Amino acid sequence: MPHPARTEGLKIARLLMVLSSVSPLFVLWAIRGSSLVPDSYLLTFCLLLVILPNFFLWLRIEGAKKHQVKSELIVGSAEDHRDHLLVYLFAMLVPLYPIDAGTWRDLAALIAAFGFVIFLFWHLNLHYMNIIFAIRGYRVFTILPPKDDNPLSGRTSLVLVTPRTNVLPGDRIIAYRLSDTVFFEAKECQPNLTLTPLN
Amino acid sequence: MPAQFDVNAAELVEFGVGLDERKTQRYVSVPTDVNVKAALREMVMATRTEMKGAGDGADYDPGEKYSSHENLRLPLSSELASHILKIHSAVNLAVEPKALSDPTNVFCYFTRMRDKKGHKLSAIRRATTFKGVLKSRLVQFSTDALKLVEDKIFKLDRDFDFIVEESGIQILRPAGFEFVGALEGAILAAVDKNANSLKADLPFVDLESIQSYAKQHPRAARYLASIRTQQETKNINKAKLKALCESTGVKVTEVKGKLQVEDGSVMDFLGVLDRRLYQVELIKDSPESFRAASRSRIGQNG
Repeated sequence: MPHPARTEGLKIARLLMVLSSVSPLFVLWAIRGSSLVPDSYLLTFCLLLVILPNFFLWLRIEGAKKHQVKSELIVGSAEDHRDHLLVYLFAMLVPLYPIDAGTWRDLAALIAAFGFVIFLFWHLNLHYMNIIFAIRGYRVFTILPPKDDNPLSGRTSLVLVTPRTNVLPGDRIIAYRLSDTVFFEAKECQPNLTLTPLN
Repeated sequence: MPAQFDVNAAELVEFGVGLDERKTQRYVSVPTDVNVKAALREMVMATRTEMKGAGDGADYDPGEKYSSHENLRLPLSSELASHILKIHSAVNLAVEPKALSDPTNVFCYFTRMRDKKGHKLSAIRRATTFKGVLKSRLVQFSTDALKLVEDKIFKLDRDFDFIVEESGIQILRPAGFEFVGALEGAILAAVDKNANSLKADLPFVDLESIQSYAKQHPRAARYLASIRTQQETKNINKAKLKALCESTGVKVTEVKGKLQVEDGSVMDFLGVLDRRLYQVELIKDSPESFRAASRSRIGQNG
Protein backbone atom coordinates (compact mmCIF):
# COMPACT_ATOMS: atom_id res chain seq x y z
CA MET A 1 0.00 0.00 0.00
CA PRO A 2 1.72 3.21 -1.05
CA HIS A 3 1.85 5.83 1.66
CA PRO A 4 1.16 9.39 0.61
CA ALA A 5 4.06 11.81 0.83
CA ARG A 6 4.16 13.75 4.07
CA THR A 7 6.31 16.57 5.30
CA GLU A 8 8.37 16.53 8.46
CA GLY A 9 6.72 18.59 11.17
CA LEU A 10 8.24 20.72 13.96
CA LYS A 11 9.91 23.14 11.55
CA ILE A 12 10.92 25.72 14.14
CA ALA A 13 12.05 23.05 16.58
CA ARG A 14 14.17 21.42 13.90
CA LEU A 15 15.68 24.80 12.97
CA LEU A 16 16.68 25.34 16.58
CA MET A 17 18.11 21.81 16.71
CA VAL A 18 20.12 22.60 13.58
CA LEU A 19 21.44 25.75 15.25
CA SER A 20 22.35 23.62 18.24
CA SER A 21 24.05 21.24 15.85
CA VAL A 22 26.26 23.98 14.37
CA SER A 23 26.94 25.69 17.69
CA PRO A 24 30.67 24.72 17.61
CA LEU A 25 30.93 27.03 14.62
CA PHE A 26 29.92 29.99 16.78
CA VAL A 27 32.55 29.00 19.34
CA LEU A 28 35.16 29.06 16.56
CA TRP A 29 33.90 32.44 15.30
CA ALA A 30 34.07 33.90 18.76
CA ILE A 31 37.67 32.70 19.12
CA ARG A 32 38.73 33.97 15.70
CA GLY A 33 36.98 37.34 16.03
CA SER A 34 36.35 39.80 13.19
CA SER A 35 37.96 43.08 12.18
CA LEU A 36 34.52 44.40 11.11
CA VAL A 37 32.43 43.57 14.15
CA PRO A 38 33.51 44.70 17.65
CA ASP A 39 34.31 41.79 19.97
CA SER A 40 31.62 42.76 22.45
CA TYR A 41 28.89 42.36 19.82
CA LEU A 42 30.40 39.28 18.21
CA LEU A 43 30.97 37.51 21.52
CA THR A 44 27.44 38.28 22.72
CA PHE A 45 25.98 37.13 19.40
CA CYS A 46 28.02 33.90 19.38
CA LEU A 47 27.31 33.21 23.05
CA LEU A 48 23.56 33.56 22.48
CA LEU A 49 23.68 31.27 19.46
CA VAL A 50 25.56 28.67 21.47
CA ILE A 51 23.41 28.85 24.59
CA LEU A 52 19.88 29.33 23.24
CA PRO A 53 19.67 26.45 20.73
CA ASN A 54 21.37 24.04 23.13
CA PHE A 55 19.05 25.17 25.90
CA PHE A 56 16.15 24.47 23.55
CA LEU A 57 17.55 21.01 22.76
CA TRP A 58 17.80 20.31 26.48
CA LEU A 59 14.21 21.54 26.94
CA ARG A 60 13.07 19.34 24.08
CA ILE A 61 14.64 16.23 25.60
CA GLU A 62 13.40 17.04 29.11
CA GLY A 63 9.92 17.81 27.74
CA ALA A 64 9.81 14.46 25.96
CA LYS A 65 10.90 12.74 29.19
CA LYS A 66 8.40 14.65 31.32
CA HIS A 67 5.45 13.90 29.03
CA GLN A 68 6.72 10.39 28.24
CA VAL A 69 6.58 11.12 24.50
CA LYS A 70 8.02 7.77 23.52
CA SER A 71 7.72 5.33 20.67
CA GLU A 72 8.75 1.74 20.22
CA LEU A 73 11.18 1.26 17.35
CA ILE A 74 11.52 -2.21 15.88
CA VAL A 75 14.84 -2.61 14.13
CA GLY A 76 14.87 -4.24 10.70
CA SER A 77 18.46 -3.22 10.11
CA ALA A 78 20.62 -0.45 11.54
CA GLU A 79 23.39 1.61 10.00
CA ASP A 80 26.02 3.34 12.08
CA HIS A 81 26.65 6.58 10.20
CA ARG A 82 30.11 7.55 11.41
CA ASP A 83 30.80 8.76 7.87
CA HIS A 84 28.33 11.57 8.59
CA LEU A 85 31.11 13.02 10.71
CA LEU A 86 32.85 14.07 7.50
CA VAL A 87 29.73 15.91 6.37
CA TYR A 88 29.56 17.55 9.76
CA LEU A 89 33.20 18.65 9.75
CA PHE A 90 32.91 19.95 6.20
CA ALA A 91 29.83 21.94 7.14
CA MET A 92 31.69 23.42 10.11
CA LEU A 93 34.80 24.35 8.14
CA VAL A 94 33.28 25.84 4.97
CA PRO A 95 31.87 28.98 6.64
CA LEU A 96 35.21 29.54 8.38
CA TYR A 97 37.21 29.51 5.14
CA PRO A 98 36.88 33.21 4.17
CA ILE A 99 36.94 34.61 7.70
CA ASP A 100 40.35 36.22 7.37
CA ALA A 101 39.35 38.57 4.52
CA GLY A 102 37.82 41.18 6.76
CA THR A 103 35.69 43.01 4.21
CA TRP A 104 31.90 43.44 4.27
CA ARG A 105 31.56 41.35 1.09
CA ASP A 106 33.48 38.50 2.72
CA LEU A 107 31.28 38.77 5.77
CA ALA A 108 28.19 38.62 3.53
CA ALA A 109 29.64 35.55 1.78
CA LEU A 110 30.30 33.96 5.15
CA ILE A 111 26.74 34.59 6.31
CA ALA A 112 25.40 33.22 3.01
CA ALA A 113 27.57 30.08 3.34
CA PHE A 114 26.32 29.69 6.87
CA GLY A 115 22.73 30.09 5.64
CA PHE A 116 23.25 27.36 3.04
CA VAL A 117 24.60 24.98 5.67
CA ILE A 118 21.68 25.72 8.00
CA PHE A 119 19.16 25.24 5.21
CA LEU A 120 20.69 21.93 4.08
CA PHE A 121 20.89 20.56 7.62
CA TRP A 122 17.27 21.61 8.19
CA HIS A 123 15.93 20.41 4.85
CA LEU A 124 17.77 17.07 4.91
CA ASN A 125 16.78 16.39 8.53
CA LEU A 126 20.39 16.33 9.74
CA HIS A 127 19.45 18.01 13.01
CA TYR A 128 20.50 14.87 14.87
CA MET A 129 24.18 15.66 14.23
CA ASN A 130 25.35 17.28 17.40
CA ILE A 131 28.75 17.36 19.03
CA ILE A 132 27.12 17.39 22.46
CA PHE A 133 25.65 13.95 21.80
CA ALA A 134 29.12 12.71 20.82
CA ILE A 135 30.75 14.28 23.90
CA ARG A 136 28.17 12.55 26.13
CA GLY A 137 28.91 9.18 24.52
CA TYR A 138 25.86 8.85 22.29
CA ARG A 139 25.93 7.32 18.83
CA VAL A 140 23.67 7.86 15.88
CA PHE A 141 22.05 4.98 14.00
CA THR A 142 19.68 4.97 11.06
CA ILE A 143 16.97 2.43 11.76
CA LEU A 144 15.40 0.75 8.76
CA PRO A 145 12.01 -0.93 9.33
CA PRO A 146 11.70 -4.73 9.33
CA LYS A 147 10.57 -6.34 6.12
CA ASP A 148 7.17 -7.68 7.10
CA ASP A 149 3.97 -8.23 5.13
CA ASN A 150 1.93 -5.93 7.31
CA PRO A 151 0.75 -3.03 5.12
CA LEU A 152 0.07 -0.92 8.22
CA SER A 153 3.66 -0.95 9.48
CA GLY A 154 5.74 2.20 9.01
CA ARG A 155 8.15 2.20 6.09
CA THR A 156 10.12 5.34 6.93
CA SER A 157 13.74 5.09 8.06
CA LEU A 158 14.30 6.66 11.46
CA VAL A 159 17.29 8.13 13.26
CA LEU A 160 18.14 6.92 16.75
CA VAL A 161 20.51 8.75 19.07
CA THR A 162 21.51 6.15 21.63
CA PRO A 163 24.18 5.24 24.18
CA ARG A 164 24.25 1.70 22.71
CA THR A 165 27.39 0.71 20.88
CA ASN A 166 25.46 -1.47 18.48
CA VAL A 167 21.90 -1.93 17.37
CA LEU A 168 20.92 -5.34 16.06
CA PRO A 169 18.11 -6.46 13.75
CA GLY A 170 15.07 -7.42 15.80
CA ASP A 171 15.91 -5.10 18.69
CA ARG A 172 12.93 -3.37 20.28
CA ILE A 173 13.91 0.05 21.52
CA ILE A 174 11.73 2.52 23.38
CA ALA A 175 12.99 6.01 22.66
CA TYR A 176 11.89 9.60 23.20
CA ARG A 177 10.71 11.54 20.19
CA LEU A 178 12.75 14.61 19.26
CA SER A 179 11.11 15.07 15.88
CA ASP A 180 8.96 12.93 13.59
CA THR A 181 11.96 10.89 12.44
CA VAL A 182 14.60 11.47 15.15
CA PHE A 183 14.42 9.56 18.43
CA PHE A 184 16.56 9.72 21.53
CA GLU A 185 17.20 6.79 23.82
CA ALA A 186 18.11 8.11 27.24
CA LYS A 187 20.51 6.36 29.56
CA GLU A 188 17.83 6.28 32.21
CA CYS A 189 14.05 6.58 32.13
CA GLN A 190 11.51 8.10 34.51
CA PRO A 191 9.25 5.79 36.52
CA ASN A 192 5.83 4.97 35.10
CA LEU A 193 2.62 6.65 36.11
CA THR A 194 0.45 4.35 38.21
CA LEU A 195 -3.34 4.50 38.41
CA THR A 196 -5.85 2.89 40.72
CA PRO A 197 -8.15 0.39 38.92
CA LEU A 198 -11.78 1.44 38.56
CA ASN A 199 -14.31 -0.41 40.68
CA MET B 1 -4.09 -18.58 28.78
CA PRO B 2 -1.71 -15.59 29.02
CA ALA B 3 -2.26 -13.29 31.98
CA GLN B 4 -4.22 -10.10 31.50
CA PHE B 5 -2.05 -7.14 30.52
CA ASP B 6 -1.30 -4.95 33.52
CA VAL B 7 -2.17 -1.42 32.40
CA ASN B 8 -0.30 0.10 35.33
CA ALA B 9 2.87 -1.73 34.34
CA ALA B 10 2.89 -0.31 30.82
CA GLU B 11 6.13 1.50 30.14
CA LEU B 12 4.92 2.71 26.76
CA VAL B 13 1.52 4.24 26.04
CA GLU B 14 0.95 5.41 22.49
CA PHE B 15 -2.04 7.17 21.01
CA GLY B 16 -2.92 7.04 17.36
CA VAL B 17 -5.66 7.46 14.83
CA GLY B 18 -6.89 5.58 11.78
CA LEU B 19 -7.16 7.81 8.73
CA ASP B 20 -9.51 7.13 5.85
CA GLU B 21 -7.77 8.43 2.75
CA ARG B 22 -9.98 7.68 -0.24
CA LYS B 23 -9.24 4.06 -1.05
CA THR B 24 -6.62 3.43 1.61
CA GLN B 25 -6.53 3.44 5.36
CA ARG B 26 -3.52 4.50 7.38
CA TYR B 27 -2.76 4.21 11.06
CA VAL B 28 -0.48 6.85 12.51
CA SER B 29 0.84 7.71 15.95
CA VAL B 30 0.06 11.10 17.51
CA PRO B 31 2.27 12.37 20.36
CA THR B 32 0.47 13.05 23.64
CA ASP B 33 1.31 14.33 27.07
CA VAL B 34 1.11 12.37 30.35
CA ASN B 35 -2.48 13.47 31.06
CA VAL B 36 -3.73 11.96 27.81
CA LYS B 37 -1.76 8.80 28.55
CA ALA B 38 -3.38 8.59 31.98
CA ALA B 39 -6.80 9.07 30.35
CA LEU B 40 -6.04 6.24 27.91
CA ARG B 41 -5.11 3.90 30.76
CA GLU B 42 -8.35 4.81 32.51
CA MET B 43 -10.29 4.11 29.32
CA VAL B 44 -8.81 0.60 29.08
CA MET B 45 -9.68 -0.11 32.70
CA ALA B 46 -13.19 1.32 32.19
CA THR B 47 -13.62 -0.95 29.14
CA ARG B 48 -12.78 -4.01 31.22
CA THR B 49 -15.19 -2.90 33.93
CA GLU B 50 -17.96 -2.33 31.37
CA MET B 51 -17.37 -5.78 29.88
CA LYS B 52 -17.69 -7.43 33.26
CA GLY B 53 -20.97 -5.59 33.73
CA ALA B 54 -22.24 -6.76 30.33
CA GLY B 55 -22.49 -10.38 31.48
CA ASP B 56 -20.59 -13.61 31.15
CA GLY B 57 -18.13 -13.85 28.30
CA ALA B 58 -19.17 -15.56 25.09
CA ASP B 59 -17.46 -16.27 21.79
CA TYR B 60 -18.06 -13.75 19.03
CA ASP B 61 -20.34 -15.14 16.33
CA PRO B 62 -20.67 -13.18 13.06
CA GLY B 63 -24.21 -14.49 12.58
CA GLU B 64 -25.52 -13.09 15.85
CA LYS B 65 -27.34 -9.80 16.30
CA TYR B 66 -25.77 -8.21 19.33
CA SER B 67 -26.83 -5.42 21.60
CA SER B 68 -24.69 -2.29 21.92
CA HIS B 69 -22.72 -3.60 24.93
CA GLU B 70 -21.52 -7.20 25.14
CA ASN B 71 -18.77 -9.25 26.67
CA LEU B 72 -17.40 -11.17 23.72
CA ARG B 73 -14.08 -12.71 22.82
CA LEU B 74 -12.47 -13.77 19.60
CA PRO B 75 -9.15 -15.61 19.31
CA LEU B 76 -6.41 -13.87 17.36
CA SER B 77 -6.12 -16.97 15.21
CA SER B 78 -9.61 -16.40 13.78
CA GLU B 79 -9.79 -15.22 10.18
CA LEU B 80 -12.24 -12.56 11.36
CA ALA B 81 -9.45 -11.04 13.44
CA SER B 82 -7.03 -10.64 10.54
CA HIS B 83 -7.38 -6.86 10.07
CA ILE B 84 -7.38 -6.16 13.79
CA LEU B 85 -4.28 -8.32 14.13
CA LYS B 86 -2.56 -6.16 11.52
CA ILE B 87 -3.32 -3.04 13.55
CA HIS B 88 -2.11 -4.75 16.72
CA SER B 89 1.13 -6.00 15.20
CA ALA B 90 2.03 -3.02 13.00
CA VAL B 91 5.42 -1.63 13.95
CA ASN B 92 7.17 1.74 13.64
CA LEU B 93 3.95 3.62 12.97
CA ALA B 94 4.58 6.99 11.38
CA VAL B 95 4.42 9.87 13.85
CA GLU B 96 2.05 12.51 12.54
CA PRO B 97 1.14 15.23 15.02
CA LYS B 98 -0.91 16.95 12.32
CA ALA B 99 -3.06 13.90 11.63
CA LEU B 100 -5.87 15.60 13.53
CA SER B 101 -5.74 18.75 11.43
CA ASP B 102 -8.50 17.25 9.28
CA PRO B 103 -10.49 15.18 11.80
CA THR B 104 -13.16 14.28 9.24
CA ASN B 105 -10.72 11.66 7.94
CA VAL B 106 -10.34 10.06 11.36
CA PHE B 107 -12.46 6.91 11.52
CA CYS B 108 -11.03 5.46 14.70
CA TYR B 109 -8.55 6.17 17.44
CA PHE B 110 -6.52 3.75 19.47
CA THR B 111 -3.95 3.25 22.15
CA ARG B 112 -1.11 0.76 22.13
CA MET B 113 0.64 -0.22 25.32
CA ARG B 114 3.69 -2.31 25.99
CA ASP B 115 5.22 -3.50 29.25
CA LYS B 116 8.83 -4.29 30.10
CA LYS B 117 8.36 -7.97 29.31
CA GLY B 118 7.28 -7.15 25.77
CA HIS B 119 3.59 -7.90 26.27
CA LYS B 120 1.35 -5.70 24.18
CA LEU B 121 -2.17 -4.35 24.39
CA SER B 122 -4.12 -2.40 21.80
CA ALA B 123 -7.49 -0.80 22.41
CA ILE B 124 -9.53 0.77 19.65
CA ARG B 125 -12.59 2.99 19.46
CA ARG B 126 -14.63 3.96 16.45
CA ALA B 127 -14.51 7.73 16.10
CA THR B 128 -18.10 8.87 16.51
CA THR B 129 -18.17 11.18 19.51
CA PHE B 130 -14.60 12.12 18.71
CA LYS B 131 -15.76 13.58 15.41
CA GLY B 132 -19.17 14.60 16.65
CA VAL B 133 -17.71 17.23 18.92
CA LEU B 134 -16.16 18.92 15.92
CA LYS B 135 -19.53 19.41 14.34
CA SER B 136 -21.26 20.69 17.43
CA ARG B 137 -20.64 24.06 18.95
CA LEU B 138 -19.35 23.90 22.47
CA VAL B 139 -19.96 26.59 25.01
CA GLN B 140 -18.16 27.28 28.24
CA PHE B 141 -18.41 29.73 31.07
CA SER B 142 -15.97 32.57 30.90
CA THR B 143 -16.37 34.72 33.98
CA ASP B 144 -20.16 34.65 34.38
CA ALA B 145 -21.15 34.48 30.71
CA LEU B 146 -21.36 31.58 28.29
CA LYS B 147 -19.20 31.83 25.22
CA LEU B 148 -18.47 29.67 22.21
CA VAL B 149 -15.30 27.60 22.38
CA GLU B 150 -13.23 28.51 19.35
CA ASP B 151 -10.42 26.00 19.78
CA LYS B 152 -10.33 22.60 18.12
CA ILE B 153 -11.41 20.14 20.78
CA PHE B 154 -11.07 16.37 20.58
CA LYS B 155 -13.19 14.46 23.01
CA LEU B 156 -12.00 11.07 24.13
CA ASP B 157 -14.72 8.63 25.07
CA ARG B 158 -15.07 6.91 28.43
CA ASP B 159 -14.02 3.51 27.10
CA PHE B 160 -12.89 1.62 24.01
CA ASP B 161 -14.94 -0.60 21.70
CA PHE B 162 -12.56 -3.53 22.05
CA ILE B 163 -9.20 -4.57 23.44
CA VAL B 164 -6.57 -6.74 21.79
CA GLU B 165 -4.16 -8.75 23.92
CA GLU B 166 -2.13 -11.92 23.49
CA SER B 167 -5.10 -13.86 24.89
CA GLY B 168 -7.33 -12.60 22.08
CA ILE B 169 -9.77 -9.84 21.29
CA GLN B 170 -12.21 -8.73 23.98
CA ILE B 171 -15.20 -6.97 22.48
CA LEU B 172 -17.40 -4.51 24.33
CA ARG B 173 -19.16 -2.98 21.32
CA PRO B 174 -19.57 -5.48 18.47
CA ALA B 175 -20.63 -2.74 16.05
CA GLY B 176 -17.40 -0.83 16.62
CA PHE B 177 -15.36 -4.00 16.30
CA GLU B 178 -17.06 -4.94 13.02
CA PHE B 179 -16.59 -1.45 11.62
CA VAL B 180 -12.90 -1.09 12.46
CA GLY B 181 -12.19 -4.73 11.64
CA ALA B 182 -13.77 -4.26 8.19
CA LEU B 183 -15.69 -7.45 8.93
CA GLU B 184 -18.46 -7.05 6.39
CA GLY B 185 -16.00 -6.90 3.50
CA ALA B 186 -13.97 -9.76 4.95
CA ILE B 187 -17.05 -11.94 5.43
CA LEU B 188 -18.28 -11.27 1.88
CA ALA B 189 -14.80 -11.98 0.52
CA ALA B 190 -14.74 -15.27 2.44
CA VAL B 191 -18.03 -16.61 1.02
CA ASP B 192 -16.34 -18.95 -1.48
CA LYS B 193 -13.90 -20.23 1.12
CA ASN B 194 -16.63 -20.79 3.70
CA ALA B 195 -18.97 -22.47 1.23
CA ASN B 196 -16.21 -24.72 -0.10
CA SER B 197 -15.32 -25.81 3.42
CA LEU B 198 -18.94 -26.91 3.96
CA LYS B 199 -19.02 -28.94 0.75
CA ALA B 200 -17.00 -31.74 2.29
CA ASP B 201 -19.38 -32.00 5.24
CA LEU B 202 -22.56 -31.64 3.18
CA PRO B 203 -21.99 -33.48 -0.10
CA PHE B 204 -25.74 -34.00 -0.42
CA VAL B 205 -26.53 -30.25 -0.54
CA ASP B 206 -26.21 -28.12 -3.67
CA LEU B 207 -24.33 -25.15 -2.22
CA GLU B 208 -23.83 -23.28 -5.50
CA SER B 209 -27.06 -21.30 -5.28
CA ILE B 210 -26.41 -20.54 -1.61
CA GLN B 211 -22.90 -19.38 -2.47
CA SER B 212 -24.08 -16.92 -5.15
CA TYR B 213 -26.89 -15.67 -2.89
CA ALA B 214 -24.48 -15.06 -0.01
CA LYS B 215 -22.18 -13.01 -2.23
CA GLN B 216 -25.00 -10.52 -2.70
CA HIS B 217 -26.44 -10.61 0.81
CA PRO B 218 -24.20 -9.77 3.80
CA ARG B 219 -26.58 -11.36 6.30
CA ALA B 220 -26.42 -14.68 4.46
CA ALA B 221 -22.64 -14.34 4.25
CA ARG B 222 -22.57 -13.84 8.03
CA TYR B 223 -24.65 -16.98 8.58
CA LEU B 224 -22.27 -18.88 6.32
CA ALA B 225 -19.28 -17.61 8.31
CA SER B 226 -21.05 -18.48 11.54
CA ILE B 227 -21.83 -22.03 10.37
CA ARG B 228 -18.22 -22.57 9.43
CA THR B 229 -16.96 -21.04 12.70
CA GLN B 230 -19.28 -23.24 14.78
CA GLN B 231 -17.98 -26.37 12.99
CA GLU B 232 -21.30 -28.12 13.48
CA THR B 233 -21.90 -29.43 9.97
CA LYS B 234 -19.99 -32.67 10.43
CA ASN B 235 -22.16 -35.82 10.51
CA ILE B 236 -25.38 -33.98 9.65
CA ASN B 237 -27.93 -36.57 8.64
CA LYS B 238 -29.52 -35.90 5.26
CA ALA B 239 -32.94 -37.31 6.20
CA LYS B 240 -33.07 -35.35 9.45
CA LEU B 241 -31.98 -32.16 7.69
CA LYS B 242 -34.68 -32.64 5.08
CA ALA B 243 -37.28 -33.32 7.77
CA LEU B 244 -36.35 -30.20 9.73
CA CYS B 245 -36.52 -28.13 6.55
CA GLU B 246 -40.01 -29.43 5.86
CA SER B 247 -41.21 -28.84 9.42
CA THR B 248 -39.87 -25.28 9.49
CA GLY B 249 -41.18 -24.34 6.06
CA VAL B 250 -37.84 -24.26 4.24
CA LYS B 251 -38.48 -25.16 0.62
CA VAL B 252 -35.98 -27.74 -0.62
CA THR B 253 -36.25 -30.20 -3.47
CA GLU B 254 -34.16 -33.28 -4.09
CA VAL B 255 -32.59 -33.56 -7.54
CA LYS B 256 -30.30 -36.47 -8.33
CA GLY B 257 -29.71 -37.11 -4.66
CA LYS B 258 -28.84 -33.49 -3.83
CA LEU B 259 -30.94 -31.08 -1.83
CA GLN B 260 -31.57 -27.88 -3.75
CA VAL B 261 -32.76 -24.83 -1.87
CA GLU B 262 -35.31 -22.60 -3.55
CA ASP B 263 -34.30 -18.97 -4.02
CA GLY B 264 -36.67 -17.58 -1.41
CA SER B 265 -35.57 -20.07 1.24
CA VAL B 266 -31.81 -19.64 1.29
CA MET B 267 -31.75 -17.56 4.48
CA ASP B 268 -34.06 -20.01 6.22
CA PHE B 269 -31.94 -22.96 5.09
CA LEU B 270 -28.83 -21.27 6.46
CA GLY B 271 -30.85 -20.65 9.63
CA VAL B 272 -31.50 -24.38 9.89
CA LEU B 273 -27.81 -25.19 9.50
CA ASP B 274 -26.93 -22.46 12.02
CA ARG B 275 -29.46 -23.88 14.51
CA ARG B 276 -31.65 -20.81 14.34
CA LEU B 277 -34.82 -22.48 13.06
CA TYR B 278 -36.31 -25.15 15.24
CA GLN B 279 -39.54 -26.88 16.17
CA VAL B 280 -41.06 -27.72 19.54
CA GLU B 281 -44.10 -29.77 20.35
CA LEU B 282 -45.26 -29.06 23.86
CA ILE B 283 -48.90 -29.47 22.89
CA LYS B 284 -49.71 -32.88 21.51
CA ASP B 285 -50.07 -32.93 17.71
CA SER B 286 -49.45 -29.16 17.56
CA PRO B 287 -45.81 -28.69 16.52
CA GLU B 288 -44.65 -25.06 16.50
CA SER B 289 -41.76 -23.67 14.47
CA PHE B 290 -39.62 -20.80 15.67
CA ARG B 291 -36.76 -18.67 14.48
CA ALA B 292 -34.15 -17.72 17.10
CA ALA B 293 -32.59 -14.27 16.80
CA SER B 294 -29.86 -15.48 19.10
CA ARG B 295 -28.91 -18.86 20.48
CA SER B 296 -26.34 -20.51 22.62
CA ARG B 297 -25.80 -24.17 23.36
CA ILE B 298 -27.17 -25.18 26.74
CA GLY B 299 -24.41 -26.44 28.97
CA GLN B 300 -21.72 -24.28 27.37
CA ASN B 301 -22.75 -20.71 27.98
CA GLY B 302 -25.65 -21.09 30.28
